[in-house]
Formats: sequence, structure tokens, C-alpha cells
Amino acid sequence: MTRQEVLGRKPLRVLEKIRESLDKINEKMEIMIELHKRGRKEFQLLPDAPLDVMTLLSMPDHLRKTAMTVCRLGRATAEEAAKQTHRARAVESGYLNQLVIMGHLKKERVGRKAYFYTEKENQG
Amino acid sequence: MIVLGMSIAVHSYKGGTGKTLFSINLAATLVQHGKKVCLMDLDFRAPSLTTFFGAEKAECWLNDYLNGTCKIEKVLINHSQRINEGGKLFVALANPSTEAIRDMSAKDRKWEMRALGRLLALRNPILNDNGFDYLILDTSPGLQYSSINAIVSTDLVIVVTTFDKSDVEGTKRMLHELYELFEKKTNIIVNKVLYDVSSKSTEKDMQNKITEMYQVPVLGIVPCFCDVSKAEGAFIFTQEKPSHPFAKIVDEMANRIEKNNSM
Ligand SMILES: Nc1ncnc2c1ncn2[C@@H]1O[C@H](COP(=O)(O)OP(=O)(O)OP(=O)(O)O)[C@@H](O)[C@H]1O
Ligand SMILES: [Mg+2]
Repeated sequence: MTRQEVLGRKPLRVLEKIRESLDKINEKMEIMIELHKRGRKEFQLLPDAPLDVMTLLSMPDHLRKTAMTVCRLGRATAEEAAKQTHRARAVESGYLNQLVIMGHLKKERVGRKAYFYTEKENQG
Repeated sequence: MIVLGMSIAVHSYKGGTGKTLFSINLAATLVQHGKKVCLMDLDFRAPSLTTFFGAEKAECWLNDYLNGTCKIEKVLINHSQRINEGGKLFVALANPSTEAIRDMSAKDRKWEMRALGRLLALRNPILNDNGFDYLILDTSPGLQYSSINAIVSTDLVIVVTTFDKSDVEGTKRMLHELYELFEKKTNIIVNKVLYDVSSKSTEKDMQNKITEMYQVPVLGIVPCFCDVSKAEGAFIFTQEKPSHPFAKIVDEMANRIEKNNSM
């Protein structure tokens, strides 16, 4: 490895860290916006609510579309869900976070990506 | 990966409209057309396919698959020998014991959510890995959990209805408040119709009337046949009586489904 390559790596890693932090802030803001819309002050999610078909039936159309997509994919990022629903990533991300707040979906970070799912290893 | 196969749920509002009859006979006819078909009994409240296919060979029930205690391959039974010629027929049975029926009706929301996940997860192993052309799910009537799970997980819903007033009203409601909400492609069969089969003009009129009533494509209009009643569900009708008008109608339905799938 040349001296230049070693030097070039550090700034790249710093930039990556900044981007990671920005993503996390963005995600927290999305959740805060959703909570604000629902008039909830405390940073607290509703208890687990299984995403069964009766629940899906009672949802507003826009959320059902998002929830169905996650059911079908098993696990998805906002980007992957948006690709299926043909909606903007930011819009989809809002709906996904809303479903997390409602207790229907769970969310997990792996590196820079946030994954949404109904249940861990739910398929036998 | 391109999936060429198609999954179908056969559903109705009221009971006894002919779901099981059409599930079995459509499956058999598609097999005769050379297709590989998987037929599943999702009517856990009143399992019916064991009557036609017997229960001796089942290593596992479909119930076990949905419970997560058995792989789907162990549920499938090869019944190709039951069909005169053509492709292959595999059947997955629901456990008909009283205990199993009780058990299935007492499941909670979380279980139903997992069951939906498992039904959705069937698509790839059945249609892709095992090369089935059609997966047909016979369901319970009305808004049963297992039936809605089946509807949500399939590509096409065939709704079997009659001209019974409460059935017509219920079917219309389901079209708007169930199938449409899940953006389901829906076809309709109107069964047990009382009209003169030999008159082509009545059939055309009837077809127009039904399309106008429900606003979905008509897969078939089927008269009430005493011969079908008399068979008492003891055999696969289209196999035993291939030249009967009922077999001809089912054959046309199968053709329509195949044409639909290739578009
Ligand atoms: N076109 C027809 N002519 C005469 N008899 C018919 C016709 N269609 C169905 N039947 C009879 O009606 C009865 C009910 O049919 P089937 O069991 O297929 O209905 P189903 O919708 O599966 O009922 P369930 O809701 O209980 O599952 C059977 O005895 C069957 O032979
Ligand atoms: Mg039946």
C-alpha cells in the first residue's frame, strides 16, 4: 500500500461516519415527525400489534400498501419498499416509520441501512 | 428470477356454492392439459379433499406446515395416477380430525400473521423450485382468517357464487371490501344456474348481465346438473364423465385460465 492510499483512506472513513450520523439523525426526525402528527409527546412506541390480515384490512389504503410490501418481502429497506410501491423513498420511509410506531413493524439497523420487518425469522 | 406459474384461491361468500367441486375439477382438467398442478385444502373448518384423495399417505398435514413443524415437501402427495393422462397432480390435505379443526379455529392474531407469512413463502418453492404451473387453494366461505390469508397470498381469486339473493349481495360486498382492498385480480363463476343450456343467446345475455352486476371477468356460467349432484362428490367428475356438458364447461374455464396466465 502506498503512502497516498493510506492518507486517502482516512478522509473517506470520516466522510462515511458523517453520512452514517446524518442518516441516523434523519431517521430520528422522521419518527419525531410521525409522533408529532399523532400528538404524542413522549418518545414511545405502541405495544406489539401483529400484522395479520384483519389488521391489514382495517388500515388506510396507503399504509396497507406499505405493510403488504413488507409482508411479501419479509424484510425491506425504505428504498426496496419504494421500488415495489412506486412511491418516493422519503414518502415510503414515513409510512414505514408510522407502522413501526403503531407496533406493526420492527426496525433494525445493519451498518448504514435500516431494515423493516414483521418478525425475526418468521418463516420456517 | 421469472415465475411463470400462477397461484389461485377459490373462494365464496356463502357455503356450498361449489368451491371444492371446481377446485378439484379445474385442477384435474389443467393436469389433463399437461400441466403440473398443486391442489391445497385451506378449508380447515371443514376439510374436504381427504374424501376424494384419502388420508393414508400424508406424512404431514397442511396444518403442520402452517404451524411451522413440517416442510411443505412432506405435505405434498402425488396423485397423478388419478388423472387419465397429461401432467402431474400433487395434493396437500387439511387435517380432518375434530381436534385439529378445534385447534385451527382457536389460533390468535400472531399465529395468523405467521400463517400468512408461510403462505406467501410457498410461492417460490412450489412454482419456482418444484416447477408447478398452478397452485390452487380451496378455501372456507366468508371472511375466515385462513381464507383471507389464501386470498392475500395468491395471484388470482376465483369467486364461486350463485343467484341466491344473500349470496349476490355478500359477493358484491366482498368484491369491494376485500378483493379490491388487496388489489386482487378476480374472476367469477356463477354456479347452479337454472337455464336452458342449449340456447346460446340466453348464455350471452346471462354473461352480459353478470359482467354488469359484478364488474369483473366471468370465468364461467354453470347450470345445475343433476348428474353432478348424484355423483355425491365420490369421484372427480370430469375424469369419470369427460363428455358430460359439465366437463366441457370446466375445460373452457381451464382454457381461459391458461390464456390469462400466458398474457
Ligand atoms: N352445478 C352443480 N350442479 C349440481 N350440483 C352441484 C353443482 N355445483 C355444486 N354442486 C353440489 O353442491 C354441493 C356443494 O358443493 P361443494 O362442496 O363443491 O361446495 P363448497 O363451496 O366447497 O362448500 P363449502 O362452502 O361447504 O366448502 C355438492 O354436493 C356438489 O356436488
Ligand atoms: Mg368446500
